[in-house]
Amino acid sequence: MGLLLLLIPIIAAPLFFLLKNRQLIYRLSLVVSASLTVISLILTKEVIAASYIQYAVLGGFFYLDSLSIIVLDIITIIGLVASIYSIGYLEEDLGRGKISEDQIRTYYLLMYVFIFTMILAATVKNMGIMWVAIEATTLASVFLVGFYSTKESLEAAWKYLIICSVGIAIAFLGIIFLHLSSLDVLTDAQFLDWVALSEHAKALKTPALRLAFLFIAIGFGTKAGLAPMHTWLPGAHSQAPSPISALLSGVLLNGAMYGIIRTVTIVNKNLNSSQFTGQFLIAIGLLSVGIAAVIILTQKEYKSLLAYSSIEHMGIIALAIGLFTPQAVFGGLFHMINHSFTKSMLFFATGSILHRFGTNKIDKVKGVLKVLPVTGTAFYLGLFAIAGVPPFSIFASELGIIVSIFVDGRFIIGSAFILLLAVIFTGIALNLFKMFYSDGPEPEGEPLKINPAGTVAIMLLLLVIFTTGFYMPEGLRSLIYNAQMIIMGVK
Amino acid sequence: MNSIFYLAIQIAAIVLVAPLVNGLIRKVKAFTQKRTGPPVLQMYFDLYKLFKKEAVVSEVTSWVYKVAPYIVFATTLAAAMLVPVTTLLVPFGFPGDVIMLIYIFALGRFFLALAGLDAGSTFGGMGSSREGMISALMEPAILVSVFTVGLISKSTSVLQMMEGSKSMGIPLSHPVYLLVFLALLIIIIAETARIPVDDPSTHLELTMVHEAMVLEYSGRHLALMELGAAVKQLVLITFVVNVFLPHDQLLSMGGPGVIAISLLIYLAKVILFSVIMALIEVNTVKFRFFSVPNLAALSFILAFLGFLNQFVLS
Amino acid sequence: MTKIYLDLLPALILFSSFILVSNKRIASYIRTFRFQSLLIAVGAGVIGLETGRIDVLLVCLLMVALKVIYIPNLLNSTFANVTYKVEKDFFFNIPILIIACCLLVVFSYLAIPTADGIINVQVANLVSAVLIGLIFMITRKKAFGQIVGFLVIENGLFATAMFATQGLPFIIDLGMFIDLLTAVLVMGVLVFRISDEFDSVDVNRLNNLKG
Repeated sequence: MGLLLLLIPIIAAPLFFLLKNRQLIYRLSLVVSASLTVISLILTKEVIAASYIQYAVLGGFFYLDSLSIIVLDIITIIGLVASIYSIGYLEEDLGRGKISEDQIRTYYLLMYVFIFTMILAATVKNMGIMWVAIEATTLASVFLVGFYSTKESLEAAWKYLIICSVGIAIAFLGIIFLHLSSLDVLTDAQFLDWVALSEHAKALKTPALRLAFLFIAIGFGTKAGLAPMHTWLPGAHSQAPSPISALLSGVLLNGAMYGIIRTVTIVNKNLNSSQFTGQFLIAIGLLSVGIAAVIILTQKEYKSLLAYSSIEHMGIIALAIGLFTPQAVFGGLFHMINHSFTKSMLFFATGSILHRFGTNKIDKVKGVLKVLPVTGTAFYLGLFAIAGVPPFSIFASELGIIVSIFVDGRFIIGSAFILLLAVIFTGIALNLFKMFYSDGPEPEGEPLKINPAGTVAIMLLLLVIFTTGFYMPEGLRSLIYNAQMIIMGVK
Repeated sequence: MNSIFYLAIQIAAIVLVAPLVNGLIRKVKAFTQKRTGPPVLQMYFDLYKLFKKEAVVSEVTSWVYKVAPYIVFATTLAAAMLVPVTTLLVPFGFPGDVIMLIYIFALGRFFLALAGLDAGSTFGGMGSSREGMISALMEPAILVSVFTVGLISKSTSVLQMMEGSKSMGIPLSHPVYLLVFLALLIIIIAETARIPVDDPSTHLELTMVHEAMVLEYSGRHLALMELGAAVKQLVLITFVVNVFLPHDQLLSMGGPGVIAISLLIYLAKVILFSVIMALIEVNTVKFRFFSVPNLAALSFILAFLGFLNQFVLS
Repeated sequence: MTKIYLDLLPALILFSSFILVSNKRIASYIRTFRFQSLLIAVGAGVIGLETGRIDVLLVCLLMVALKVIYIPNLLNSTFANVTYKVEKDFFFNIPILIIACCLLVVFSYLAIPTADGIINVQVANLVSAVLIGLIFMITRKKAFGQIVGFLVIENGLFATAMFATQGLPFIIDLGMFIDLLTAVLVMGVLVFRISDEFDSVDVNRLNNLKG
């Protein structure tokens, strides 16, 4: 059943290239992403019941536990929403002559290869294959970033490709050291298998493991957009087509973060304390939040601003993992989910704004609420959500993390963190709320064609982040709780 | 008495073989360029002719100009005494003689550079300044490589370095030795004014270094300069082949028969090395002068990597 | 005896990275890359013969086919076809750069042998080769320099894995090769597009996106 997750997108991807009819492509895409979502939800049920799933195929490389199922569900759900939203988005682009019909085929082909590589990264238990998959995510999404072939998008694609490839390469160095640390402990068949690694974590060689953690954290940290390796991220997120920005921000970053989390589990279990990993992750997390805060204050383009906000939230997750108290880890995982949903919703909404106003600049966009009443409202509320205002879910997870910082007795970090969050809120309010309040002339160009499915999708996301803010379903809670136990090394 | 006799053989061997190396390199180059080229013994004929000729000395020069050829030649001869062709032929070994060797060459080069300046011609001055720069650039690499080899054999005497390397079996299969060997190869190319650094066969004003310094010389002075350069080259080659490719008879004590065999093997190694140098020369183009520091840096890195590896491996 | 060979190759691979740093022309980058890949392929061959593992020998063959023959040729032809070409890619004083790389080597020698004995001089050498690849990439400003830099980093990683583990599982090697090949193709296509759009392959021109 789980293997279908890998088979469906890889079989479907070439089909997109063969189909001639645009409508057929759209339908196929919907069917594929919906079936992926359904499968992953069924698997989620199984995981909640059985704590993990493993198939005996190919040396049992396919492995799902509560942690990976969270990442997987985010991938498939955001993937489904992206595929719904893409239809209207691409039609609009086509109508405005920004792209050709051939490009739509390329778009879907690459998007599903991209989704495939991310699913692969989340469902294998071998660090080596996971590395191969994460590197492949970069390669699959480069041309999606450079989709419009403008100067800016090509530049963004080049930076994305080069910086991420190098980062991932460094992560591989870490993986080699991880293997070296386990040389006398594991058998050949358990090579780089993180289940075995974390089972035998105590026996691993500590010095090599420390090096491994540093390299992996820097390498995957590059891909996760942590400062100071974040430089590719704003360009790539702002230049990619909006559905792809949503996937990059909501899904790709989590995948890389997932790699870091797995390593942290092993290293902390070996060292018997979280001090070593904690210092590094807290420093890098706070730095990310800080850099994002400063730049958000002065940002001129709304998509870049959202991209920096992604850096901020990745920093928050790193911080939470660095703290490594049960409450903080719980908050971090919950935050990962919330951020994915909120941020992808915002990026979907920017797609409509970009189409209608035809510009990336904040000061050229005026009166969004009047021009785009529905999407505009969603965007408006989403901004409150991303800035951490109750009752949205990001507030709940951020609050959890902040409380856990203070419970842990780290007052300086806690105060700095709150201060930075306040700065970010100010930045978002100062910069982006201008788009709603100032009245301007109606933008030139024809109004948007209505994209009912896309709008509904955005609204659904909004509903999700609104409800999870004060009500967490029992299934979700136990899932996150189990994942937290896995990270803490209790299970 | 015996030791003086052996010393005489050593010096004679080096001085007599030295022009042959040049001839051989030219021949190999000619062969690869599909020319006939001058005979292998051409340099002997040249030297013979030059020694017969009168030396013309410019009126504006000082005593340095006249003394320099003798000093240059004498320093190379002194250096020739320090590097054993075969063990028995060297009575001059003492701790630290490898450093002595380097600085004897430096003395010769100092006078060579002075002589280049003395005549007051533009080319001579240019050659001297370039020579000074090249040698300054190569100096760190030379010292690091020599000390690295010294560290392995725990000695700074040439003789003991050879013994140390011989105990390694095939030294060149050892990373430290290979790295230092490559470093020294670059150094020898630079020190003997060969192609990527300098072109020995050109008198094209802008590129010459060594030729520029001896441009004013003629007759026996020129002969001494040329022979000195050839001897220096052979001394360096001897050092490298005997340290990095030691042969069995190198360190054995024995009668004249053993020495003769050892000399023959030595000759074979020198010829092999000359062919390698010739091939390198054929396969590279002369660098711009300002690229020479890159070469020097590379050679330094080779020596330094050897040094680091030595530290970790031991 | 083989132990010494195995020490030898990483040292030479490291040195080839230094040669790369001292290169100025794109053609010489590609040549040095080819040379380095050949060294690694020889390493894989020696290890394969030593351990008697067929898959490592297969990796050696793949290495020769891909990195010694195919990718350098591909880069050469891409370079020949890019409209706006400048042969020279020169950014920083090379001797200073080499000395900086030298410090990196010292750094990795200091950092790595601390890992209680299991990490040896080979790994130290190869990790330095990776770090030098990074320096190379940072200091070169032409897109080709960055591609070759990436390839050299990948080479260093591959060699590190090869020498440290005596051959990775074949599936991971294969994955790496596929990734690498795709990466090179993607980079090649992107270079074409960039050179069309910017009239240059100079990465310094890529400065439209700020903040």
